[in-house]
Amino acid sequence: MEQPAVSLLDVSTYLPGEPISADYYAQFADSDDLRDNLMFRAPKFRHHVAPDETAIDMVERAAAGIVDRHGSDVLADVDILITHTQLPDMPFYGGGGGMANRLGMKPNWVIDLHNGGCAAFILGLKLARQLIASGEGRTALVAVAQNAAGQVFDQETIRPKAQAAVPGDGAAVGLVAASNVSPILDVECRTYGEYAGDMTMAVDPPRKWWQAGPGEGCIGFTESKITKVLARGNRQVPEVAYAVCDRLGLAPKDIGLLVTNQPNRVFLRNWREALELPESKHRDTFDECGNLFAAGVPVNLDRAITEGQVGAGDVVMMAAFAHAGDFAGAAAVRWGGQR
Amino acid sequence: MSLPALEDIALPNSEALAGVTRIENAPREKATPIIMEMMRSVYPHDVVFGDYCTVNDYIDCPPDELFEYLSDTRSLEEWTYSLRGFTETEEPGLWLAYDRLGSETEIYTRTVANRDAMTVDYHCAWDQGQHLWMIYLMRVVDAQTVLNKPGSVVLWTNCHHPFYDNNPYPETAPAQRPVWVGDFWDMFGAGHRLELDNLKAIAEYRHHNGLPITPAWMK
Repeated sequence: MEQPAVSLLDVSTYLPGEPISADYYAQFADSDDLRDNLMFRAPKFRHHVAPDETAIDMVERAAAGIVDRHGSDVLADVDILITHTQLPDMPFYGGGGGMANRLGMKPNWVIDLHNGGCAAFILGLKLARQLIASGEGRTALVAVAQNAAGQVFDQETIRPKAQAAVPGDGAAVGLVAASNVSPILDVECRTYGEYAGDMTMAVDPPRKWWQAGPGEGCIGFTESKITKVLARGNRQVPEVAYAVCDRLGLAPKDIGLLVTNQPNRVFLRNWREALELPESKHRDTFDECGNLFAAGVPVNLDRAITEGQVGAGDVVMMAAFAHAGDFAGAAAVRWGGQR
Repeated sequence: MSLPALEDIALPNSEALAGVTRIENAPREKATPIIMEMMRSVYPHDVVFGDYCTVNDYIDCPPDELFEYLSDTRSLEEWTYSLRGFTETEEPGLWLAYDRLGSETEIYTRTVANRDAMTVDYHCAWDQGQHLWMIYLMRVVDAQTVLNKPGSVVLWTNCHHPFYDNNPYPETAPAQRPVWVGDFWDMFGAGHRLELDNLKAIAEYRHHNGLPITPAWMK
């Protein structure tokens, strides 16, 4: 029996505050040696979450576009809420309950995803599609918030590091429903659990992240793993995209629009090359927003839709990998041309 | 404590020689991002196979026996795709065969093997045996030393000699032959892989079935 069509109807996004220029980091930077390197060259701008702004606030602001375009009832009708927050306001219980409440929803399903990382939007689409297809609901909202840049990476002893200038904050929501308008054609998600430990929360002197003590925490990779992480990302993102293409009988070069996460310029270049796509078909916002983690895919898609970069009937390929390569996902949507 | 490395290359102000990356002029924090930028998801065919065509593989049979087999020019009758009918010419060590890639094309081969280095180089040419410019450089390595398991590793490289692009001895070619060996250069990566697969399958079959790697007919 053919699976009933489930569509990604719309995405709307939110970037907190005024853009913060690269100069902000330059004043703290230890050394200029790496600044011109493609790998570490800082984006021109990024946004930072405000000091008292919560992930719930960010998601509410991201959802405003959906409410504008579809009316406030659209949120009240959501019966599946899937959320991902990079740095949960309250890690003990996640953000889903508070987000549902803020958005005025009473969903039957509230699920917080913490494993999807930079590919969380794709994992959320897979879950939403499956739940809707199985009759568990008719409308889902996938909400992602990246809020580490203005918090973790803006700490006094962290911001001089070259990597601190790369992340940026942002949030996005995707509206998914039983519909033929912009069908989700296929999704591929893969977990590589053997790499999960290669992303670390380093504190000097060492302590657990929740314990009090000196030394500011920084999320990163063990230095010995950096090239391995690059090699994994180089491989995984094209692999999951190819897997989706193969099942759809689609040649990668026929992808209408590619949106990926955007950890740095090297990955963007490499993924484009691997899928044989020109820059004009690979939308990124790296220079304006930096590494948006999970929000990268939907923010880039929103930007492409807004600017008419994707047309009716185009296949949009979303692809990303997470953390140190412990998860990767790709999803294809045939864009209906309007939202 | 270091040796006087590069002492003879005196550049003003201890500048580094262009194109030389050593820890003295590129410490790790500078070199790592350079290297990471060089790492791609995919590499164009021409970058991988354009100037040098290399294929390698592991073969499960003793390296000395594999070396022995490869050192005999007639082994090419078995594991190559299209070289057939080897006969020794009047010149000792120079063999004539036919490359069925080019219809009725003569190919001349002289095998230069070095047991100490475990290298087997096939010096070949189409049409004439005077200038053997197509050189197949092969090396057999004891897999115990490099992969910590019994068996052989075969390394095989061809270099893109300019004669592949232009036949220097057109007068030796059969009249009306439509192809030149260099027309196939872009296929060499795949073609040599296919032949290395042949070598692997043949040698492993013999080894696994208690047969000598070099068959009786070649003794």
